[in-house]
Amino acid sequence: MATRLQYDNNNCEIGVFSKLTNAYCLVSATSASANFFTGYESKLKGVIPIVTTSIGGSGTIGSLCVGNKNGLLLSHTITDQELQHLRDSLPDEVVVQRIEEPICALGNAIACNDYVALVHPKLEKDTEEIISDVLGVEVYRQTIANNELVGSYCSLSNNGGMVHSNTNVEEMVELANLVQVPLVAGTVNRGSQVISAGLTVNDWTAFCGSDTTAVELSVVNNIFKLVQSQPDFVGSEMRKSLIDTYV
Amino acid sequence: MTIVSTCCPFGLSNVTKCINFVQIKEAKTMVKYNFKKITVVPNGKQFVDIVLSRTQRQTPTVVHKGDRICKLRSFYMRKVKFTESNFNEKLSAIIDEFPRLKEIQPFYEDLLHVLYNKDHYKLALGQVNTAKNKISKIAMDYVKLLKHGDSLYRCKCLKVAALGRMCTVMKGIGPSLAYLEQVRQHIARLPSIDPNTRTLLICGCPNVGKSSFMNKVTRADVAVQPYAFTTKSLFLGHTDYKCLRYQVIDTPGLLDREIEDRNIIELCSITALAHIRAAVLFFLDISGSCGYTIAQQASLFHNIKSVFKNKPLVIVCNKTDLMPMENLSEEDRKLIEEMKDEAMKTEMGASEEAVILEMSTLTEEGVMSRLLDQRVAAKMKSKKIGDHLNRFHVAMPKSRDDQERLPCIPQVAGEKEKRKTEKDLEDENGGAGVYSASLKKNYILAKEEWKDDIIPEICDCHNVADFVDSDILNRLEELTSEESLRKAEEEEVGFEIEGEELTEKEKNDLAAIRKKKALLIEESRLKKSNAQNRAAVPRKFDKDKKFTRKRMGRELSSLGLDPSSALNRARSKSRGRKRERYDDLSNDAMDVDVNDDEQHKKKKMCLRSKSRSLSRSRSVSRPPHEVVPGEGFKDSSQKIKAIKIGHKSHRKRDKAARRGEADRVIPSLKPKHLFSGKRGNGKNQRR
Repeated sequence: MATRLQYDNNNCEIGVFSKLTNAYCLVSATSASANFFTGYESKLKGVIPIVTTSIGGSGTIGSLCVGNKNGLLLSHTITDQELQHLRDSLPDEVVVQRIEEPICALGNAIACNDYVALVHPKLEKDTEEIISDVLGVEVYRQTIANNELVGSYCSLSNNGGMVHSNTNVEEMVELANLVQVPLVAGTVNRGSQVISAGLTVNDWTAFCGSDTTAVELSVVNNIFKLVQSQPDFVGSEMRKSLIDTYV
Repeated sequence: MTIVSTCCPFGLSNVTKCINFVQIKEAKTMVKYNFKKITVVPNGKQFVDIVLSRTQRQTPTVVHKGDRICKLRSFYMRKVKFTESNFNEKLSAIIDEFPRLKEIQPFYEDLLHVLYNKDHYKLALGQVNTAKNKISKIAMDYVKLLKHGDSLYRCKCLKVAALGRMCTVMKGIGPSLAYLEQVRQHIARLPSIDPNTRTLLICGCPNVGKSSFMNKVTRADVAVQPYAFTTKSLFLGHTDYKCLRYQVIDTPGLLDREIEDRNIIELCSITALAHIRAAVLFFLDISGSCGYTIAQQASLFHNIKSVFKNKPLVIVCNKTDLMPMENLSEEDRKLIEEMKDEAMKTEMGASEEAVILEMSTLTEEGVMSRLLDQRVAAKMKSKKIGDHLNRFHVAMPKSRDDQERLPCIPQVAGEKEKRKTEKDLEDENGGAGVYSASLKKNYILAKEEWKDDIIPEICDCHNVADFVDSDILNRLEELTSEESLRKAEEEEVGFEIEGEELTEKEKNDLAAIRKKKALLIEESRLKKSNAQNRAAVPRKFDKDKKFTRKRMGRELSSLGLDPSSALNRARSKSRGRKRERYDDLSNDAMDVDVNDDEQHKKKKMCLRSKSRSLSRSRSVSRPPHEVVPGEGFKDSSQKIKAIKIGHKSHRKRDKAARRGEADRVIPSLKPKHLFSGKRGNGKNQRR
């Protein structure tokens, strides 16, 4: 089941301050109290390591790094001490690497699960090769609803994915064939289309902002298979709720 | 607005223009209902006090009868205008903040009409508006009169008359202001009912259990008592169904009578039933414990059935624990069947089971799903559904290769262990802002004690991270293996060669060389440390006694010259000095033959000479004019002259008893205050 969280002082963009994968979880070190960390700890402690860190002194680590169970790519703004801290905290199988890419907001430019990655169309060729090597994924250059920041408007796991709410059906089918998981167009945080800012997900759990409504939470639970559901849940059990909400 | 101008096409002499005004209708904007923010309405007396004290505090209050007449006029005109603008401002705020009945939602319009009477409400606001206009007129009239005032007294009388008439007008609308304040207090307590969202509306006879149902399905806390009319106004609660939020409205009980005979409490219910698009739950007490028979309740149902049109309607048979449905009489059962037939007419196609509900077997599925179905059916007919079709589609992928992409869920994910969280540690150790978690305690390292190692960032002005080598362990193994190989080879070679040892002679030579080197270093340092305080001395004075005969001989030999003649000359000079001393002694002996006076004089000279020799040899003290080598003087006469010049330069300073040039005093040469007495009756210009 997905869990509602909020960052300090009623900030619902929790995906910007954390990064969740199947092998580890990164949480921002700039939080004023342990409430945000404990929200993750209550679900993940003992299962995967939860690391408190910053990147280049900034707490918006979800936008500055991209990772999956095989590796973690960090922007060039990270300091050597932070890099060493991450290497000491993560398992040896996870490759931690700094990357010299002009688009340093990697979390906004790249969306990936453990097998496929969608990247910003203007990313450099060398970066594409590094992503393929470190993360162990197939790399495709794509846009989502005519937006180049695929990492912001898309959230993927190995069970499903959620994309920008203005994505049309043909584009969704094309993207689903690329990433080989079911996709749905949805929102988080009461209508926000920036999916990854309000949602962070792996294969068995998810966290979203505290403004997320019950309908949005149901879509998240069903598409990422966090609960038992039919493949076409939006057309059957949730159709009436969605029509009454969106129209 | 658009102005369209047309002219007569035939060019006659009397050309007339026709102007058509085409007015563009502006779309009405939705008004948001927030009745809790209306400002407090003072009564008539408070109103007068507020405005007059403001005039007193914020306008000038001092004027003199000798001032110019235009100043007197403007002074009092300003007071009249200021008071009028304050009244106008406050009365306009009242008129603007209260809702206008024709501009708000019909439900709220009728509700306000039921509660406060539309006519009274409009009359009160109208009187406030009339008062505002009257005050403006009074101010204009008296400002005109003040412009022709001819004295302070007359201007003041006019100002007092103007303010007095304004206050009279305000007293006149005191009852209206009191009424509006009551309306404001009551309207702020109304629940925030949204007429457009998903709504359940509970209605029925008094004392049938409507509020109990309300408290059960929502978190509202409506008072419940076993008699009629415990609920006297509308109550609002919220509940969730299928991830959607529903509001539930509890209404006061209804009595079976004509619409004209109903009281305010019942009219609230009728208003809600008429204007809110809701699913209606009509509660029916089949046990009769509410005080009304089923026949009376059925009569009420038929009386108000016209307001149920186009709404999902459910008849709820309540209190089945007291009277099960099987025990009803045949006559009552027939009445309920008639009600069911009427209920099914309001919504075609409704199933029979969905119309009648029993409280003991109540399921929320029936009620809310019927409302949801109706809303969905209405929205499916609109054109907006086309814009959101992508939201109702799950894109399923087709397989494009044989690669399996399975989820990665660890085994521990399902287990539930109670562990101490970071929040617990924070609370134990002083709370947020005090507790600082260690970031290193969860490190995954080969050895546990490595966690607390401190790794410097900068070492010898270099970044440590630049030299970190991840392959360093492999390189270390290679180096150690090479080292062991080389050591084995060296040991084999070592057996053939023995170590050399120094002989005694070589050791002594080495020690002597090191000692001499140390002495030279020490001498150089001593010379260097004293260099800045020492004057440059000509070579001939030989302060350090370094220019010996041996050195001269050695240097001349190195130049390739024969040093023997130079050495002999130096030695003869030294011997000659001794001979002179001997001659002096001989002269002393010859002087005995001279006469007494000359003998005495020469004796004195001889004693002085002896004294000089003794002091030279002993070096205990010397006369001040004796020239010491290195002082820089040619001879004693030159030194005496220099000492004399120095004394001359000190003479003036010594006469003034100064210790040196820095000992200066600048006195006050003209201390006038010491020479002046007290001033008399004369002038003060001296000071």
